[in-house]
Amino acid sequence: MKTKLRLLAVTLVLALPATASAHSETGTIGGFVSGFLHPLTGLDHIVAMVAVGLWGAYLGAPAMWLLPVVFPVVMAFGGALGVLGVPLPEVEKCIALSGIMLGLAVALAARPPLWIAAVMVGFFAIFHGHAHGTELPAAANAITYAAGFVIATGLLHLSGISVGLLVRWPWGRVVVRTAGVAIAVVGFGFLFGMFKA
Amino acid sequence: MRRAVSWLLAAFALPAQALAHTTVQGMNDFMTGALHPLLTPAHVLILLALGLCLGQHPPLRLRMPLSVFASCSAIGLALTATRWFPGVHPAALAGIALGAGALAACEKELPSSARGALFGVGALAIGSDSGVETGGAAVIVKTLLGTWLGLLIYLMNLAYYASLAAEQKKKWLRIGLRVAGSWIVAISLLVLAFALHKV
Repeated sequence: MKTKLRLLAVTLVLALPATASAHSETGTIGGFVSGFLHPLTGLDHIVAMVAVGLWGAYLGAPAMWLLPVVFPVVMAFGGALGVLGVPLPEVEKCIALSGIMLGLAVALAARPPLWIAAVMVGFFAIFHGHAHGTELPAAANAITYAAGFVIATGLLHLSGISVGLLVRWPWGRVVVRTAGVAIAVVGFGFLFGMFKA
Repeated sequence: MRRAVSWLLAAFALPAQALAHTTVQGMNDFMTGALHPLLTPAHVLILLALGLCLGQHPPLRLRMPLSVFASCSAIGLALTATRWFPGVHPAALAGIALGAGALAACEKELPSSARGALFGVGALAIGSDSGVETGGAAVIVKTLLGTWLGLLIYLMNLAYYASLAAEQKKKWLRIGLRVAGSWIVAISLLVLAFALHKV
């Protein structure tokens, strides 16, 4: 009897008319949510941004905070190019390449001079930003979309830095370098079409 | 310099969609005005950037920047009451936030005159972008007064908390302020591109 009642309840719940939970990209809140989710919906973007944080933490101060400062600003510049319709060559390949290069930098514990690291991160950030800029929903509220987008990117860096801080311990270095290898593998996957952007 | 001033004036004069006050049900005119800067993301961005600039270099010196901000925002708000001012283009608002955010990101302290000019332009832009569309003279005065006081209170609070963070010995707090500045730069850059794209 109980089972029948449960079954009936489940059937009734499933049959209830519900409002559609469709994407809402308009308005202030819709713009923020849309912008916030945008960097989180592409694995190629996520791994590169986490890699920036990981590498920054590995390099220590001042790189730890300089790289995550450089990345959003230059990425926004790339985004502006995308919004304005300025074309860039091989955007998707460069995004995949960013995963490979940054992942390898973490995996190999590379310690180049700070300006080289900043230029490398900045170069790839332009392509990430461009991809986001060209995919901007037309109806989104510009300022809240941009705020959500930048905050999500910053939080991805922060998560990378948090994991990267494990390098204080010998076992932590293994974890961080393994994460670098995984990021590079994902980058290769995107470059050779095993993953779809 | 002259070219920069003429660009700035041109940006101010561009026709823009008015970010005017809307009536909030159950709230009086004064409170509607006071909350207006918080409900307008472009104004929040400028206030954040100016607050960071102000508080980043302790000890906190409010007299000059705050008096410039108060008088220029009052002028801007008064301009909206004349109803002939076309409003401020979003690109101009984003440009001001971009400049102030860049200063915060670089932790750069401007000379007194340049700092005054920055706060003056910022206040004038926010003020003249906060017009009241409907209502009689009493409603307009109450709402604009609320906006004016709200602007001063928000700026003072932001500057105070930024200076509290900057005074701490923990370096990451100062870095946090610079990161916030860089995020403001990034957001403003994107908004500037959106605004220019629509022109």
